Amino acid sequence: MSEILFIDDILRLLGYKFFQYALLGGALVAISCAVVGLLIVLRKESMIGDSVAHMAFGGIAIGILMGVEPILTALVFSIVAILVISFMRSRNLANSDAGMAVMLAAGFSLGLIVVSMAEGFTVDLFSYLFGSILTIDSTELLIIAVLAIVSVGVMAILYKELISMTFDENAARLNGIPVATLATAFNILVAVTIVISIKVVGVILVAALLVLPGLTSLQLDLSFKRTLMVSVVFALVMTITGILISAVLDVATSGVIVFTGVGIFLAVTSYSRLR
Amino acid sequence: MTKENLIEIRKLNVLRSGNRVIESANLEVERGDYVGVVGPNGGGKTTLVLSLLGQIPIESGLIRLFGKDISDFNDWHRIAFVSQDAINFDVHFPMTVRELVGLGRVNRNNLGRRLRESDWEKVDEVLEFMRISDLSERRIGQLSGGQKQRMFVAKALVRDPELLLLDEPLSGVDAQTTETFYKVLSNLNLREGTTIMVVSHDLAAVFCRMNRVICVNRLVHTAKITPDLDSNDLLKKVYGEHFHFAFHRHSCQGEFKGV
Repeated sequence: MSEILFIDDILRLLGYKFFQYALLGGALVAISCAVVGLLIVLRKESMIGDSVAHMAFGGIAIGILMGVEPILTALVFSIVAILVISFMRSRNLANSDAGMAVMLAAGFSLGLIVVSMAEGFTVDLFSYLFGSILTIDSTELLIIAVLAIVSVGVMAILYKELISMTFDENAARLNGIPVATLATAFNILVAVTIVISIKVVGVILVAALLVLPGLTSLQLDLSFKRTLMVSVVFALVMTITGILISAVLDVATSGVIVFTGVGIFLAVTSYSRLR
Repeated sequence: MTKENLIEIRKLNVLRSGNRVIESANLEVERGDYVGVVGPNGGGKTTLVLSLLGQIPIESGLIRLFGKDISDFNDWHRIAFVSQDAINFDVHFPMTVRELVGLGRVNRNNLGRRLRESDWEKVDEVLEFMRISDLSERRIGQLSGGQKQRMFVAKALVRDPELLLLDEPLSGVDAQTTETFYKVLSNLNLREGTTIMVVSHDLAAVFCRMNRVICVNRLVHTAKITPDLDSNDLLKKVYGEHFHFAFHRHSCQGEFKGV
């Protein structure tokens, strides 16, 4: 009986525009995260999502304060953050994880200062901290769609160069690949992906949405092409399942998405160890 | 008729961490040469190769590649390099042997474009040449040391290089694999005419199979390998007076190809 009620609820929800927007936005973000996230995991920079998302939080707070679309201010802050992390690493000012820690702290503390200066938008900020894909409006959907398509499109065009660089930067450089430019382009894509993910899972859980699909697909020991495809499937399954369950049961969407992802990761890891 | 010099070095000095690692080096490598670079550990072999590739700055002197000063040289696609660290990759990296070798076809002329059918035909041809076709769908992390080396040489060869540089490609690999590997390189040199420069500790392989030797221990000594060459005398210059290289041409079992 309860299964039928669950399906009834979903069918009813599918008739609502807000729910269609949520599914479409969620799916686009999932694909973008899966593609960018796999390379992040392989570059051993899994915590970059957490760091840049906290910097984005500072941007969001300023955006709300100034009455500018927060996704756009978050985007500017995120791109600056990731380029600064990369600069600090290249100049040996700080290694990757130290640079990420500094940016995380800088962004979040900036956000806190702005919040304490202005009153009345705590609720808005909460939705960015924990995600609110079910409240996505048409403007946000449009921005997310454009950014996700740009991000996946650039990845598709630079696919073989990005794998080359990720596998062995020096060898790629000797092959004539402009590694420095490519690394900057990739960093900007990472920032874009992180910002659009904030609407889905919030600042706190962005790293999980970025890392879990890639990490899970890596357990299966496949070729690169298949690993990437499986990563996209995992990201879609965890996001769509999360949105459906959370809408019907009225629980936090970001929590269900990430929890589903962790469940898939544990199941796949157990399967790959036991087979 | 003199052959074209692919590498020419004059009065080269290289500093690393304040120490002069290469001093007043002069050498040349001609098209079609098969050159061994030998010398004790820490003697400067890798430094010499990396400075040839423009990977480390030189203190003074001249490096010419394919007749051009290294500062004006842009034809890097004519050179392929396999570093001694190549096999120390992340074994969990999700890639098959064929996918990895295919990355060798990525260069500045096909940026942003998919590899063509002809690129993959070249990949399959080289996998066959390196005798690793049967491993093409195997994950790179599952290969043995010798297989990994052949895979990286294949990745270098799919670029159709005129000059192949290998830095200690066989450290930690068993004797039989070593033998097979040098046979493949000899074939490449003889059949395809690829100029090869290989840093090696395998003195027998160098003196049996190659036609030129570069001995490096800060100072650089070069010689053509001929039946008259006193290899022991040459090697004492870099390994020290107490060094004795028990090498006999007959031990090459008919593979001595000195000119």
